[in-house]
Amino acid sequence: MAELDWTVDPHADAAPSKQLVLRALDALASGELAAGAQLPSVRQLAARALVNHNTAARAYRDLEQLGVVRGQNGLGVFATEDAPRLARELRRRSTLDAFRGAAKDALRAGHPLNGLVTELSNLASKTASPRKTA
Amino acid sequence: MNSVATLHHVTKRFGVHPVLDGVDLELPAGTITVLLGANGAGKSTLLRLLLGLERADAGELRVAGLDPFHAAGEVRRRIGYVPDQPDVYDWMSPKELYGFLAPQYPRWSRELEERLVARLGVPRTTRFAALSRGEAAKAMLVAALAPQPDLYLFDEAFGGLDPLVRDEVLGALLEEAELAHRAALVVTHELDVAARLADRVAVLNEGRIAVCADLDELTGGAESGALPRRLKELLGDVVLEGSAVA
Repeated sequence: MAELDWTVDPHADAAPSKQLVLRALDALASGELAAGAQLPSVRQLAARALVNHNTAARAYRDLEQLGVVRGQNGLGVFATEDAPRLARELRRRSTLDAFRGAAKDALRAGHPLNGLVTELSNLASKTASPRKTA
Repeated sequence: MNSVATLHHVTKRFGVHPVLDGVDLELPAGTITVLLGANGAGKSTLLRLLLGLERADAGELRVAGLDPFHAAGEVRRRIGYVPDQPDVYDWMSPKELYGFLAPQYPRWSRELEERLVARLGVPRTTRFAALSRGEAAKAMLVAALAPQPDLYLFDEAFGGLDPLVRDEVLGALLEEAELAHRAALVVTHELDVAARLADRVAVLNEGRIAVCADLDELTGGAESGALPRRLKELLGDVVLEGSAVA
């Protein structure tokens, strides 16, 4: 398995543990991390992200609550069987929310509906397969 | 929570001038405390007191329950210390340094020493005089982690390092420092490093602890993004004079 890039940017607006959660969800949704795959230990994750242990542990707690990882005592942290499906659902939900927000702003700014529809179909023809969102 | 080290009303004067003026600080097990403060705020003096190299004029200090000045030898065996510049004979090689230190530390782990030397690519047999700044910092990190101490002290240990080397050093520290029953005190003026490492932030200003709080508490009860900038806003330019938001 290729190693995931767990880099965290403390200057970014999202909190470090949130960045780790989004990175894991993204990797699960895109298939970079498969169901049942082993994730780094808390300490390995802290070292790769260059964040403190408690930040890494918090990210795993949040991912566990979302049902996408589970810790097995002494063995490590693993993606659940449902993880890819859950991650895709979460991503669909959050991207739909973001889309609605952006569309609302655009309409409010005076873009005509058919202009936005054209924009959207242009984007759809350019984006053949969904790739990771920034 | 258990404290690995405590300072209670600690005062230290040089001449009549108090460098530390009634400092209260606890270093709880399981946490990394980042100590910030302008040059001359007393950070190095505080570390020298914890190491037993100076004697407090008033107040009480404990490291693992011991007075660092009176039980200096015992306390030094419980501390892993990375100074800003290597405090070793420059004719020594890392291999010679570790050979010299290992017998003095009851929990020194040869296995951990070797794993870290390999991970960081420390040139084992090169004299310190011939090591680059980065190589020397790595060699000193090994000397601080291999003893598996109760307390880790890092004094500006990441300053002046090439960013890639700095990340290697931080990564090794984060993966190999065992914090479950131990504590770390990191003195730095780099807010980027503080944002990455800190569970707690303490600010020393004019010889007193001006701020000491959990990082989340400091930023309003929740984990925060854009942390270096927020720290700078919260803690102020005076207190953090010279602090770098990279």
